Amino acid sequence: MEGITGAELIRAAAFLGAGIAMGFGAIGPGVGEGFAAGKACEGISRNPEQAGLLTRTMLIGQAVSESTGIYSLVIALLLIFVAAK
Amino acid sequence: MTGRRKLLLGLVGVLALEVALALKAKPEIEIGPIPQWRFSLGGHELTINSRTAVMSWLVMGIWIGAALLVRSRLREVPGRLQATFEFLTEFFQSLVTDTLGDSLGPEKSREYLPWIGSLFLFLWLSNIIGVVPGLEEPTRDLNVPVGCMLVVLTMVHTSAIRKKGLKKYIKGYLQPFPPMLPLNIIGEMAKGVSLAFRLFGNIMGGAIILLVVSALVRYVLLPVGLNLFFGLFVGTIQAFVFTMLALAYTAVAVSD
Repeated sequence: MEGITGAELIRAAAFLGAGIAMGFGAIGPGVGEGFAAGKACEGISRNPEQAGLLTRTMLIGQAVSESTGIYSLVIALLLIFVAAK
Repeated sequence: MTGRRKLLLGLVGVLALEVALALKAKPEIEIGPIPQWRFSLGGHELTINSRTAVMSWLVMGIWIGAALLVRSRLREVPGRLQATFEFLTEFFQSLVTDTLGDSLGPEKSREYLPWIGSLFLFLWLSNIIGVVPGLEEPTRDLNVPVGCMLVVLTMVHTSAIRKKGLKKYIKGYLQPFPPMLPLNIIGEMAKGVSLAFRLFGNIMGGAIILLVVSALVRYVLLPVGLNLFFGLFVGTIQAFVFTMLALAYTAVAVSD
């Protein structure tokens, strides 16, 4: 462990933390958005003339369920650009 | 040589030239310092993020200019520009009256059209203006989404108080029983925070991915598709989601 100072250790931990935050944070939104898209596909196959409305509702629901992933992105950005400075 | 083959050959030539140029250039990933104007006013230090301010005034100026232009040549038979604006107005009018009409009535719910419409138009152009080289999305700065969020929250709670009266509005926070008060207040605040951070995170994340991937492939071909996705598609969706959520929060707040 020669030459590694405390500040470098903090930087390394911040980068590692950013990776972990983004990786785990992406699981939930991925599953959720896929579920929403699958259900929307089912709905469209049952009721094709409502495809526009279903797609719009699906996109809004996906964007809302995406927000947890966005939180982890913001935290990862904070770790990279603020904590690792 | 057919025309199509010529075109293909030309494209390959341009691509080869671009690769050759790109290999010479140095990849640069830089998220530079934020340009700021600082001045003091009565002992307080004021800081304005100059690029954000200029870009958001540019966006507002574009819309004000477009609105004045369309208004100055209103016709009985609409031209192309007027038809576009009429379509936008009608779309948002039906959206607002569909969402708020049940609890406010069609007459009163139409009052919300200018607010919702201008919120969407401002955020939409703010999100996609980064596609133009040299310009930057004002929503990339957290201050702009937070400002829009504060406007939305003010509007939501004001319209709730106006519809229900102050007493019933405060009573709404004691539902289902009084000890839930802190949870309800935190829930209201979380709405605003998630609204602002969703917009900021999407635009900022897209911009950073664009920057990093562009530097990795040295600006060859790939950034075009990424710009289309992160600039136009995500920007439009996020502006629409922000507006729809503002509308939905209002609808929940005014319904009893």
